[in-house]
Amino acid sequence: MSLFNSSTQNIRNYLDFLWAMTEKELKARYKNTFFGFLWIFVNPLFQMLVIGFIFRFFVKEPIEDYFLYLLVGLLIWNFFSLSLLKTTPSIVNERSLIKKAKFPREVIPLSIIFSNFIHLILALLLLLIPTLFIRTLDLMSLPKLFLGFILLLPFTIGISLFTSALNVRFRDINFFVQAILILWFYFTPIVYSINVIPRSVIWLWRINPLTSIVQLFQSAFIAAVPGPGPAMLLSNTVLNLIMVYLGIKLFFLESKYFDDWV
Amino acid sequence: MNRKSKINEKGSIAIRLKNVSKKYIIHHQKPTLVEKIINGKDEEFWALKNVNMEINKGEKVGIIGPNGSGKTTLLKIIAGITSQTSGKIITDGKIVSLIDLEAGFHPDLIGEQNIYLNGMVLGMSKLEIKDKISQIIDFADIGQFIDVPMFTYSEGMKLRLGFSVAVHADPDILILDESMNAWDIDFQKKAQKKIEEFFKMGKTILIVTHWLDFVRKNCNKVITLEKGRISKLEISGK
Repeated sequence: MSLFNSSTQNIRNYLDFLWAMTEKELKARYKNTFFGFLWIFVNPLFQMLVIGFIFRFFVKEPIEDYFLYLLVGLLIWNFFSLSLLKTTPSIVNERSLIKKAKFPREVIPLSIIFSNFIHLILALLLLLIPTLFIRTLDLMSLPKLFLGFILLLPFTIGISLFTSALNVRFRDINFFVQAILILWFYFTPIVYSINVIPRSVIWLWRINPLTSIVQLFQSAFIAAVPGPGPAMLLSNTVLNLIMVYLGIKLFFLESKYFDDWV
Repeated sequence: MNRKSKINEKGSIAIRLKNVSKKYIIHHQKPTLVEKIINGKDEEFWALKNVNMEINKGEKVGIIGPNGSGKTTLLKIIAGITSQTSGKIITDGKIVSLIDLEAGFHPDLIGEQNIYLNGMVLGMSKLEIKDKISQIIDFADIGQFIDVPMFTYSEGMKLRLGFSVAVHADPDILILDESMNAWDIDFQKKAQKKIEEFFKMGKTILIVTHWLDFVRKNCNKVITLEKGRISKLEISGK
């Protein structure tokens, strides 16, 4: 009984700590800004306008509700890429905490991801209002949204744990991530539809777990856009799970020795 | 909290190290991935070699030794900040170190938010901090600065706040070093009084210092480290 009590108390303390760190991320980010969290929406909105304007000249098959399609993809992408960009050097950046005391190290990257996740949820909620109004979104979309979140959050956590742990020893990882994200954006169906990809190179999208995640969200918000096919979903999910496993494994192996390297 | 420390009283050993060794890899510059693949070999340095020790609850232990003898490494391993390369370590009770006190504050957050964050980093629960926050603020003597962002604090204020949070974390095992000598006189006196309280309360205390007289006077066990090994162990009747 007492064991049970103490373990639930430990979980509570852990969650309190995680939340306090997440709150720190949120508060520190928008200190002294006027628009505060609205910036999370303004950025993809500008991106959407620019890309939407330019790509109209290049995209052969028009996608229905193209601007909305873009915005949904960009919101998901921005969550993922901003999280990865910020978590990768996070252990090194928080060296003063690492050197100070023993505490669960994973809280550092997790708090960054959760603060971004709160932003994503708020932005998607804002998007719900107009899409419900123009009826591109209906109740049938809820399972797709749910599945999208279930795939997106663990993948972001897994890869962030992996890169943040590796970056402690090899600082090149930070630059590598910055470079790879630029490529990754174009290998994810955000500005185009997966339909335009020739079958001979489709494997490149099959090994990118973000493909079906982005597709799930796009098709949840725009009923006319199809979701990911079963082969895509399966191969993406398998790689997603492998990444989560590797990330957790590497992080807990390395985190004992972070102090030696920061 | 009282309940917890009662459970701890069952065993009498606070810290036990068995054949603990710690290897560091010397990096003259931060290694890059390419260098690692090409060179393949790392330069090694053993900061601790087969250290065995047992510290009972309530003991006051001084650790002395020349620079580079492994004192800091030993404390870091005991505090759980880093891990040993080989060997075993068992600790019983909450450990708080009074080293790097001014570290870990976020400059953009106000004092109160930083107290919560810092307290949780040291292993306090949210409720515990809530109970003690007025004590923490009083002891740190930062008054109206409590709702001001941390970047406006002087180094002395940060130090005081760091110390205050740490001592209110209710440690069973306290780790000290001699950085205290650099604090301003008034606060030094206050801090010393607080630490003397911990001595009287029968807490386990570890002190790293060059100051032999202090250790001889206050500690019942003196461990001398040399080149990563325990070269001398003195036990007095205190």
